[in-house]
Amino acid sequence: MLMEISKLKLNLGTHAVLRDVNLTLHKGQIYGLLGPNGAGKSTTISVVTGLRPPTTGSVRVLGLDPASETLQLHRRIGVLAEQAGFYDWMSAGDYLRWTANLYQIKLDQSEIIRLLERMGLDGKSPAAISTYSLGMRQRLGLARALINQPELLILDEPTNGLDPRGRREIHDVLLDLSVNHGIGILLCTHLLDDVDRLCTRIGIISLGQTILEGAIADLLSAQSTTARYRIRVEPGKVPERLPAGITLLTRSGDWWHVEIASQIEPADAWHSLLNEGLRIDEIHRASGGLEELYMSATEVKEVAV
Amino acid sequence: MNPTILIARKEGGELLMSGRGLAWLLALSIIMSVLCLLLVSNTELSLLDNAQVVYMVMGTVTALGALLAIVIGSDALAGERERGSLIPLLLAPVTPSQIVFGKLGGQVAGWIVMYLLSLPYVWAVGSSGQNLTQAVAYLALFGTPVVLGFGFLGIALSARLGSVRPALLTSLITLMLLASPLLLGPSLRQSTIGRLFDAVNPFSAAINTFDSVVIDSQPLTMQITRFAVTLVWLVMTAAFAIRSMRKMEI
Repeated sequence: MLMEISKLKLNLGTHAVLRDVNLTLHKGQIYGLLGPNGAGKSTTISVVTGLRPPTTGSVRVLGLDPASETLQLHRRIGVLAEQAGFYDWMSAGDYLRWTANLYQIKLDQSEIIRLLERMGLDGKSPAAISTYSLGMRQRLGLARALINQPELLILDEPTNGLDPRGRREIHDVLLDLSVNHGIGILLCTHLLDDVDRLCTRIGIISLGQTILEGAIADLLSAQSTTARYRIRVEPGKVPERLPAGITLLTRSGDWWHVEIASQIEPADAWHSLLNEGLRIDEIHRASGGLEELYMSATEVKEVAV
Repeated sequence: MNPTILIARKEGGELLMSGRGLAWLLALSIIMSVLCLLLVSNTELSLLDNAQVVYMVMGTVTALGALLAIVIGSDALAGERERGSLIPLLLAPVTPSQIVFGKLGGQVAGWIVMYLLSLPYVWAVGSSGQNLTQAVAYLALFGTPVVLGFGFLGIALSARLGSVRPALLTSLITLMLLASPLLLGPSLRQSTIGRLFDAVNPFSAAINTFDSVVIDSQPLTMQITRFAVTLVWLVMTAAFAIRSMRKMEI
């Protein structure tokens, strides 16, 4: 197990910032830490990285106690913080070399160029970091987080500021690190699309408390949420009845708005519609799944408080 | 390479290669040139004893060095925090002490350059008089702990207050308070409170030593207590900086 947080509480002054955070992350897993603004995600990261000691509760990261074994932990983890600042007067290559030296790691020029190019940056560019766009800074931050070949990556909004292509490239890098190198990744994000594509396990925090935690598939099936889709069907074709579990909500020309029951896999639903003789030209997800789960979880929490 | 040296080299390089550092050195040169010109050419000031003139230049260099140290120190941690580069540094395998001592690299580099830059001016106003060698040596011996102490103070306040402006303001007020013997008349300094303040004030210790050595030609053995005051100042501010760094709110 790479990370285990149990009943974590953190008070800053008299204010309880974290009240009951629980999290379990295994090797090679990408864990999505979700929650509204101010829920305590970044504060949780500050505790697991040893920047803040917990008030109570148990936190173990790579078998270490972040509060007392901070230096050992920092040698083995890579972190991209929410505010990715650099020494702007340096070039990206010089900055990575300086950071590597801080970790007592010797990196030659070719290794630095390779790392930067893997992140989609020009490894030979002498340009100062001050000239970089937000997206380029995010990529450089990710390169910095990988400088010590970490066993665990902790990323706070890693795709922030990236265009769709850039996001896809970073997704591919993270999947490669997770699947092919066994690196565990704690991904703190607002973007459910990132979570949908990358994560197998999530935790949702609200008001400093974990309100949902587990494998996405388990949570979705336990939540019993219906999924809604917009589909474009063959013009003029209307079957006498729809297969069980599929409900037609509205119809506008060729576009149908349908709801699929949680126990039915979307692929099975499309298959049964095709069996009814209906040709489907386009499918768009309208709601349901992870987004529905997130919305209902955070909504319930706010009502409860 | 040791992280302290690595950070110190980065800080020193950043200061000396940046427009900020070069502007500071230019300002120092102008101040020293004007001061020295006044001391040798102005009708009243040129009547001062040669040793008195050297003493004034030494005091001015120490005060300017302390000012540079607090300006750099105030930005050391709070500035990095504001620019977002502090968290990556805190997440590296580096201890708070290594960061604090590394951050002092900027002040050390600035002070060394200032000291070297001041030598021609000290020589220009004091070459025809006595105790020039002692002046150069005592400026290094007493000026260094005083200046670096202010550097540590700036770093400590930068960590405590978390923002550059209040850290700079508080450091400046402290510097003005400790440098006030330069502004006070001799009669005020001879009062009980004045003497008590002088006895524990590192800035006074340095200034009184310059007076004692350069003007009164007294030996090192008479400066031991004052030297101890400057060393205690340096150690106390270093401890304050490390403690503040450990307690810094991120």
